[in-house]
Amino acid sequence: MADAATRGEPLRGGIYRDMWVYCEQKDGEFLPVSLEMLGEARRLMDKYAQDYKERENVVAVVLGHSVDGLAKQAIQRGADVVYIGDHPELATFRLEPATRVVAGMARAKDANKAYDKPRYFLFPATHNGRDLSATVLAELESGLASDCNKLYIEDIPIKHPVKTPGGERIFERTLGMKRPDFSGFEWSTILCLNDPEKEFYPQACSVIPGSFQPLDTSTGRNGTVVPYKFNLGERDLRVKVRSRRKLGGGVRLDKFPVVVAVGRGIGANPSEGMRLGVELAKALGGEVGVSRGVVTAKYPLDANSKKYAEEERQIGETGQFVKPKVYLALGISGAIQHKKGMDQSEKIVAVNTDEAAPIREFSDVFVKGDLYKVVPPLLRAIEAELKTATAAPAAPIAGGKA
Amino acid sequence: MEYVVLVKGVPDFRQGKVKFKEDNTLDRGNTPTVLNPNDQFALQAALEAKVKHGGTVHVLTMGPPNYKKILQEAMSIYADKCYLLSDRKMGGADTLATAETIAGAVRKIGNVDMIFAGFKSADGETGQTGPQTAWKLGWPVVTHVLNWRVEGERLVAERTAYDEIEEVEAPLPAFIVTDPGFKPVYRQATHRLKLQDLQEQTQARLSEFDRHFAAWTAADLALDEKKIGFKGSPTIVRTVEPIPRAPQERKATVYDGAKDEDVKAVAKAIVAAVKA
Repeated sequence: MADAATRGEPLRGGIYRDMWVYCEQKDGEFLPVSLEMLGEARRLMDKYAQDYKERENVVAVVLGHSVDGLAKQAIQRGADVVYIGDHPELATFRLEPATRVVAGMARAKDANKAYDKPRYFLFPATHNGRDLSATVLAELESGLASDCNKLYIEDIPIKHPVKTPGGERIFERTLGMKRPDFSGFEWSTILCLNDPEKEFYPQACSVIPGSFQPLDTSTGRNGTVVPYKFNLGERDLRVKVRSRRKLGGGVRLDKFPVVVAVGRGIGANPSEGMRLGVELAKALGGEVGVSRGVVTAKYPLDANSKKYAEEERQIGETGQFVKPKVYLALGISGAIQHKKGMDQSEKIVAVNTDEAAPIREFSDVFVKGDLYKVVPPLLRAIEAELKTATAAPAAPIAGGKA
Repeated sequence: MEYVVLVKGVPDFRQGKVKFKEDNTLDRGNTPTVLNPNDQFALQAALEAKVKHGGTVHVLTMGPPNYKKILQEAMSIYADKCYLLSDRKMGGADTLATAETIAGAVRKIGNVDMIFAGFKSADGETGQTGPQTAWKLGWPVVTHVLNWRVEGERLVAERTAYDEIEEVEAPLPAFIVTDPGFKPVYRQATHRLKLQDLQEQTQARLSEFDRHFAAWTAADLALDEKKIGFKGSPTIVRTVEPIPRAPQERKATVYDGAKDEDVKAVAKAIVAAVKA
């Protein structure tokens, strides 16, 4: 263990406090991920207070126009302080003005904030939140981990050629940011650490929606609301939104009673594998979804099956969340990212060659076999079964032949 | 007009190419490196720019010397000139240090009107480097772009934003991050003919690649060494571990897919659940 003299104290004397959370809102309502992050920030900072015998705040950042009502909600869901950036130009999200305002808040020193920059900063890993995290951290010149789903704060011993040239050192109160990597094959832990010449704060990350639990609304909680004052210049507003229209189409898999999901098990003959999935979905009145693996694999698919292997049909942590009556997983091993998007399904049926595949652990029915061989007879059996079920509904089936 | 396309080499995740170690982490040494799949959209966008507005397409990547082949892969889609930013001093860079390096290269190319990048790389999947590079250059950035055009001195682009499509405009120079849904639009016959010509030209250029290729070091870009590579990176990767298996949540009944009666039982269970 390193002694006190070699511990990772700030070398340039900056003061850093609190955990900040960018709470994204749309049309005056928080996205669920905003409340999830506040809940996790509350848990982390309560533990921080216990571990380090020092209380630091959870600070919510809310941008928009006439969004005062959201401040109360943020406090009831775990925030101690809420910074409100209110401006007509912020009514809908735009990256440049949002970056100016959030970075400005982080750097401001006023009656409510005596420190130089936030110690930690969480952003949602959404379309806009991800972009904002990148530009805010470029502006604040600090480190950012993206798409995290597990966080912890610890004193961490580190030995690193640049960060600790003299040998191992303890970095106190460090935010460990874990992210599933490489399409979910690995879990990397990212740390943002000072080096001998520079302090890097905030330690920041974006958080995958659905990773954390929000707190229940507590009306007893108190907090401070800070209306942040700022001006936006011509340069901040140079990107203009001309028009906006609702996106038609797209595939909403959550509207179907049956989802047939196709995974990398179709690799041997992707077009045929996809065709089987589509047939099965059609027979059952369902739709076809795919795993992340199929999207990234870029299989050479034929014209009929190509449209199914698109990101818009991806199920899982970074795709859609579904909970149909029946979820049929063809050739899906069951990475944790995939599981997050489907494990609330009522009945999960997996077809897989590998009996040890993780998906078995959260399936109700596991069919061991090659999907190319299993699906055609399964399809025929389902079609036959559907006819029987329609011809003689419910009761007569009881006591039938096994 | 001058265009820059940012591309990246990533492990080839296709079945049969990707290799894993015993602990299920990626075996980088034995997995080939390929052009990041999403970068083809950025290259398509730059090609569209060249067809419609003329100019030069500069393709840029950062990495070890063998990343030259990533640039060749890019040129097979389209490139006039290719640049490899390669230097030990650039190694180990996180997104912030990478953005600093790329911004330096864009300044060296000079007079650039538009930069195109793909949305997220298949390996890191951070989606951070594009917006951070734009911010360092002080340029407006438009992300998730589905299609774009130039009107006078301004970029007009359609982008996805959740369940909406926004049409935005920005002054040039501007930074465009293409969405995986990006599609170039060629409505005029002259454009389609020009496209064909340019595609033939880039194939011809590929056979004499080195004449259109330059390798740049940190010194060439006059970069502050404290801001690039390992030294300029606030973040480190502490550990890489396989994702632990979740505890069993459902008790699966196992059927043999080769047995007729098993398949029938499964069909029955599925139909019963659908009808329930």
